[in-house]
Amino acid sequence: MKKFLNKPENFVDEMIEGIMAAHPEKLKYVNDDLRCVCTATGKDGKVGIATGGGSGHLPLFLGYVGDGMLDGCSVGGVFQSPSAEQMLEVTKDIDKGAGVLYIYGNYGGDIMNFDMAAEMAEMEDIKVLQVVAGEDVASSKKGEEHKRRGVAGIFFVYKIAGAAADDMKTLEEVKAVAEKVCANVRTMGVALSPCIVPEVGKPSFTIEEGEMEIGMGIHGEPGIEKGPLKPADDVVETMLNAILEDLPYESGDEVAVLMNGLGATPKEELYVMYRKVNMMLKEKGISVFHVYAGEYATSMEMAGASISLLKLDDELKKYLAKPAYTPFFEQVQL
Amino acid sequence: MNKLSVSDVKAFLSKMNSVAVEKKDYLIDLDSKMGDGDLGLTMAAVFAAVDEFAAGWTEDDLGSMLMKGGMAMSKAAPSTMGTLMATGFMRGGKALKGCTEMGTAEAASFWQAFVGGIMDRGKSKPGEKTIIDSLHPAAEALEAAAAAGEDLSVAAVKAKKAAEEGRDATVGMVAQHGRAAYYQEKSADIMDPGATMGAILIGTFADFVAA
Repeated sequence: MKKFLNKPENFVDEMIEGIMAAHPEKLKYVNDDLRCVCTATGKDGKVGIATGGGSGHLPLFLGYVGDGMLDGCSVGGVFQSPSAEQMLEVTKDIDKGAGVLYIYGNYGGDIMNFDMAAEMAEMEDIKVLQVVAGEDVASSKKGEEHKRRGVAGIFFVYKIAGAAADDMKTLEEVKAVAEKVCANVRTMGVALSPCIVPEVGKPSFTIEEGEMEIGMGIHGEPGIEKGPLKPADDVVETMLNAILEDLPYESGDEVAVLMNGLGATPKEELYVMYRKVNMMLKEKGISVFHVYAGEYATSMEMAGASISLLKLDDELKKYLAKPAYTPFFEQVQL
Repeated sequence: MNKLSVSDVKAFLSKMNSVAVEKKDYLIDLDSKMGDGDLGLTMAAVFAAVDEFAAGWTEDDLGSMLMKGGMAMSKAAPSTMGTLMATGFMRGGKALKGCTEMGTAEAASFWQAFVGGIMDRGKSKPGEKTIIDSLHPAAEALEAAAAAGEDLSVAAVKAKKAAEEGRDATVGMVAQHGRAAYYQEKSADIMDPGATMGAILIGTFADFVAA
């Protein structure tokens, strides 16, 4: 293992200390707990949006706390859920009287703790609604969408729900638009090398030299096709076809595309992949409104990428296009 | 005792705190066979937290005390079993909101809501080798006793017996949840640590009522 570490057990807290030191005008933490991250620029009367999840995925999750996106994030250990208590503390800070929406990925530990936090918030007279995002088509077959893991596509849910909340929509309205994004986004990933949890010190799963695993999850969950690494165009074809068939995305549709690097894959390779995505979408008669390419949801130093497509309508397009400004993501009006 | 007052329930929680400490190593050993091994530590932490919270309670609303005691438990141990136990107290307490004492009917409501909360939160049901397998029969026994108009002292003895039988019945079940589920058939030989904890909780409650 070669990592910039002091003590592995201090990895998460020192990471947050660094982020707080770099962005004091944007972020703060509450309840004297570094892992309860909230925006320092909250807007009165707005629906609060909170997320949370394990560390090891930056800019997911806390990187999207900021103007036009999220208001708070509870931060767990590497690949571990934060506690319900931490979620509750974030909730209390970001509730500005209009209620709080939880948006998080479909993982057992996170669901249990967010459910618990919602119940405790209710006892403190804070109205909480929840949206659980799961769009990884490799993680469960069609018809069992509720079992799917949440991966990079949650970025779109944050972006659009964040813009709707910023537009002073009600809690129910923000939830509805977040659910609409979830229903229209699909992702598929491919991994080329494993990642190392600092406190473990060695890879917790293996991908042999020259091999790839299509569909692998962002914590190394097994994928759907393991074998020799193929040319980029072939890999993209497998991934994109699975995505296109699933929703399905059809001729005449307009989409936003997210080309996401998992941590060790350079942008150059993401654009080599996008070249093929673009060709295939053109062939299908699907038009592209906007392309995001870079690191949006990572898995430590894993090499690999994911492709997400979001089918747009006028409402989703309007909110996607709005500006956002967070320490990890900035966008002007599109 | 046929009705527990707020101070009786405080005394029960204090008793439960000391039982959790006594059973800590036993639970760690039992849980280490196929689980994370932290059950004993988690239970000691959550019952210390609820005991401390209740000791400082000055109002006469029993339900609110138990509900807020559950929140204190959740803060003390955010692990899965800690969260489940906390949920039980929160839901059980909620069911008794406004009550100032606990007779058979209130005990049945409390433990039914308690186990119902655990089923909701853990997304599980009886027969899956969990704490539910001892708590659910106990809650059912209390409900039957309440319907028959029996005294709490009689009902609690029946609940304890039902919980112990439920605990014993987990031997032979294949685990569906948590780390033990990875062992599949191999998990069948072991008595479920969660169900054992549930039987300890109900047993302590029954012994307290009888004393």
